[in-house]
Amino acid sequence: MSSGREPLIERYRMFSEFDASTLDEVLTYSLSDDITARGFQATAGSEMLKGYRPLFDAAVVSKMNGNHLIGKTNMDEFGFGMFSVTGTGIPRNPFDPERSCGGSSGGAACAAALLEGHVALGTSGGGSITSPAAFCGVLGLTPTHGRISRYGQIDGVSSMGPIGILASKSDLLRKYLPLISGKDDRDPVSAAQPELRIGNRKLKTAAVPKGITDNVSDSVRSAFEDSVELLKSMSVSVEIVDMPHLKYAMPAHYVVSVTEAATNLVQYCGMRCGRQDGDLSLPFNDYFVSFRSKYFGTETKLRSIMGTYMTMGDNRRNMYLRSLGARNLVINDHKRVLGEHDVILTPSMPFISPKIDDAVRMRSADSYMTGRFAAPPVFCGLPCLSVPCGYSDGMPIGMQFISDHWDEDILLSAADLWEKAFDMKTAEVRS
Amino acid sequence: MKIGLEIHVQLPTKTKMFCSCPAVGAAGPNEHICPGCMGMPGTRPALNRAAVDIGIKLARLLNCSIPDVMWFNRKIYFYPDLCRHYQITQYETPVGLKGEYYLGKKRIGITRAHLEEDPGSMERSGDGSLVDYNRSGMPLVEIVTDPDISSPAEAREFLTFLLKDIRHVIDLPSDGERSIRVDCNISVGTERCEVKNVTGLKNVERALTYEAVRQTKILRSGGRIVRETRHYDEERKVTTAARKKEYEGDYAYIGEPNLGSINVRRIADRIETKESPLSMAMRLQKEFGLEEKAAKQIVNTSVKLAELFEHFARKTGKENALKWISGPISSNWRSLEKDADTKKDGLTDIVVRFMNGEINDVECSMLLKAYITGEDLRSMEKNNADLDALIRKAIAGNPSVVDDYRGNEKAGNSIIGTVMKETRGAYPSSDIVETTKKILDEMIR
Repeated sequence: MSSGREPLIERYRMFSEFDASTLDEVLTYSLSDDITARGFQATAGSEMLKGYRPLFDAAVVSKMNGNHLIGKTNMDEFGFGMFSVTGTGIPRNPFDPERSCGGSSGGAACAAALLEGHVALGTSGGGSITSPAAFCGVLGLTPTHGRISRYGQIDGVSSMGPIGILASKSDLLRKYLPLISGKDDRDPVSAAQPELRIGNRKLKTAAVPKGITDNVSDSVRSAFEDSVELLKSMSVSVEIVDMPHLKYAMPAHYVVSVTEAATNLVQYCGMRCGRQDGDLSLPFNDYFVSFRSKYFGTETKLRSIMGTYMTMGDNRRNMYLRSLGARNLVINDHKRVLGEHDVILTPSMPFISPKIDDAVRMRSADSYMTGRFAAPPVFCGLPCLSVPCGYSDGMPIGMQFISDHWDEDILLSAADLWEKAFDMKTAEVRS
Repeated sequence: MKIGLEIHVQLPTKTKMFCSCPAVGAAGPNEHICPGCMGMPGTRPALNRAAVDIGIKLARLLNCSIPDVMWFNRKIYFYPDLCRHYQITQYETPVGLKGEYYLGKKRIGITRAHLEEDPGSMERSGDGSLVDYNRSGMPLVEIVTDPDISSPAEAREFLTFLLKDIRHVIDLPSDGERSIRVDCNISVGTERCEVKNVTGLKNVERALTYEAVRQTKILRSGGRIVRETRHYDEERKVTTAARKKEYEGDYAYIGEPNLGSINVRRIADRIETKESPLSMAMRLQKEFGLEEKAAKQIVNTSVKLAELFEHFARKTGKENALKWISGPISSNWRSLEKDADTKKDGLTDIVVRFMNGEINDVECSMLLKAYITGEDLRSMEKNNADLDALIRKAIAGNPSVVDDYRGNEKAGNSIIGTVMKETRGAYPSSDIVETTKKILDEMIR
C-alpha cells in the first residue's frame, strides 16, 4: 500500500477519530453497535442504552486481538430495520449520500466500502448483512448460526442473528472468518459446531428458486440474469428448482423474530444499565413504562407489542408454535435443494438502495418485506454471501449465494470466483 | 378440600445456574454477581451441568418420566429483582413429568419437576427498596404436585418425608444457606388460591389451615372465592391478598434460543441415583417381609443401618437380622456408624456363631458390643456385672416399681434415672436402659 496510502489515510480521517497514519499497514476493523468492547459504549442503536459501557469484550473482540478496533458503526435500533434509519444515527450510502446504506448493519457496510483493507463486523437477524452489503457494493458473509460465538452480542433476536463479516475483498473474508470462528463455552450454541474446514472446494452447481425474480425491479432482474449467465460461462451448472415452502419463510420469520425480540426487550426499563434518569418516586411498573415510552423508537415499540401479542394465550399456539413448525418446512426445503446443489442463488434485495427520505417514510410491513431474499437463509441458520453483481444509476446491486449448514467453504470459493469474474466498483467519496 | 404444592428446592451446586459466580457464601449483598447474572446486555447464559444432573436425580426420586430432549423457556414478568425480566425456566419439556410419590398407601401425583433460576431478592427499607442479586441465577428445581393432598396435616407429613428423601438423594445440607420454599394451592370449593413463598413445615400447615377456614367461611356465608395470590404473614399467622393470580397464558412463554436443546436421555443414562429412604423402606418390606413400621424405623435411624440390615438379612436371614439390628446394633449405632462398612462382616460372623449354637444370645450380644466399641470383653463382663448389681440394688430400694412396670413400661424410667444419677456417666445410657429393661422383664415373667 504505497501509492494508495495517502488517500486512504484521508478516508480514515473522515470516517473516524482513528489516526491511520500511525499504522505501517492500514488494516483495521469495526463493530456494529450491538457488539460489546471494553471501553466503547454499546447502544445497539437505541437511545435506551445510551451510556451503557460493558465491562467485557465480545468473543470476536478477543479473537481479533492485535488488530485495530477503530469504532462502532450505526445500525437500526436493535437490528429492527432494513435501511439503518431506526437507530441513533443514519449512515449515508458511499455511492450516493442521499441514499440508504441498507440495514440493519448499514454503518458496517459503509465502512467496508470506504476503507480499503477494513473488516466490518455486523450482525444479521433477518438479512441485515446481505441487505447493506448489496446496497453498498461490498461482500457480506453471514456464517452459519453458531459458527461465531455471539458472546458479547446484544440480542435483538436470539435463535438467529449471527455475527458476519463485511469487506471489499474476498481475501479478507478468507483470512478473518477462521480467526473469529470456533467454539466458545460462553455461547452454548457455538459449542455444538463442527470444525470449519476450508478446502477450496470448486463451485460446480447452483439452484435458482422458481419465480425468484418476480416482483423485483427491472434493473435487479437483468443484473441477476446476467450474473447467472456469467456463472454458467464459468462452467457452473444452474438449475431452476421448486421450493414450495419458501412462501412461509417471511410470515414465520416475522412471528419468531418479533416474539424473541419482545422477550429480549423486556429487560430495558431504566435499571442496571443504559438510561437511568427517571423519576425514582414512581412505583416500579410506572417507572419502567416511563422509560420504555420515552426511549424506544416506533419500530421497537411495534415489535415489542406484536411479539407479546403473538405469544399471549391461544396466540402462542396459533402463531408462535405454528411458525416454529413452518420454520422446519422452510429449512427442509433448503436442505433438500442443497443436498443436490452447492448453492442456492437469489437476488440480495429487490431494488437498488432507496432515498433515505423514502426509507424513513416506508411502512413497517413494506420495509420488512424487502428482506424476502435476505431473511430466509438467516431464519434457517444457513450461511450466505452477498456479492455485488451489477450497477444501476451508479448504485450497486447484489446477488446472494446460500449454502448448506457449516459449509462456509463453498461461499469463500464463490467469493474468490466472483471477484475474478466481476468488475467491482469502488465508491467515489465526495466530501 | 384439595391441596397442591409447588416446592422450590435450591440445588447444592458450587456455582450458579448460568454463570460461574459462587452459589452461596456471599459476605454481603451483591458480592456474588457478574454481568451474566445481572443480565447485562451482551451476556448469554451457559448451562451448569451439575444442575441438570441434580434435576435428573430428583425426577427419578419422584418416579417422573424424563424426556429424551429438553430445552428451556423464557417466562416473562416485570419485577425489579428479575434482572432480564424473564425467568429462564422449563415449560414444555420439564426434566421430570408425571410422577408419583407414596405416603404409605396414599398416592400423591407429581405433575412435573422442572429446572429454573431464582431471581434476586428485594428488601424494603424506609425510603425505597433495595435489590440484592446474590440469589439471581441460583439453580432451583420446582416440584409441582397434583391436587391430591386432602388436609393441611397431610401436606405437612408429605413434605416431611419428601424433604428427607430429597436431602438424601441430592446431598442437600439441612443447615446451609439453601432454602426450600413452598407455594400452597388450596381450594375448598371450586376456585383455588395460592399462598406464595411459605418457608418451614409448620408454616405450611398453618397457612393452609388458615386458608381452609377462610375459604369455608366465605362459602358458608354465600360468598365467592376469588382466584388470587396470597401471602402468609408469619408474625400474625394469617394470609393476606397480594394480587390477582395470573393465568399461564399471561407469561408469554417462548423457547430460550440461547441454550439450545439438551440430550437429557444421554446424560440420565450416565447418572446413578441413590435410592431414597422411603423407597428403600418399601423395598425392604417387599424383599424381606418386614412390617412397615419396622422398615421405616430402621431407615429413619440411618440409611447406612438399613444397608447393614440388608447385609445381615442375606447372611443370617430376616429373623436374626431384625433381632440383632434392632437390639445391640441399634443401641450402639453411634459408635458403629462410621465403621459400619469395614465391620459388617465381623458382625455377621458373630451372629453366625450364635446360629450354629457356639454361643448363647447373652454372649452374642456382648461379643457384638465388644466388637463395635473395641472394648475388652473381660472388663466389659465385669462392668456389666457391676451395672447389673447396681440396678438390682436400685430396684430393691424401690420394689413397687416392679408391679408398676407390669402395667406401664415407663415405670422403669425412675430406676434408670436413679442409676444414671448414681453412676454419673460411668456407663453409656443405652447400657443402663437396656439392662434395666432386661432385669425388670425377668422379674415380671
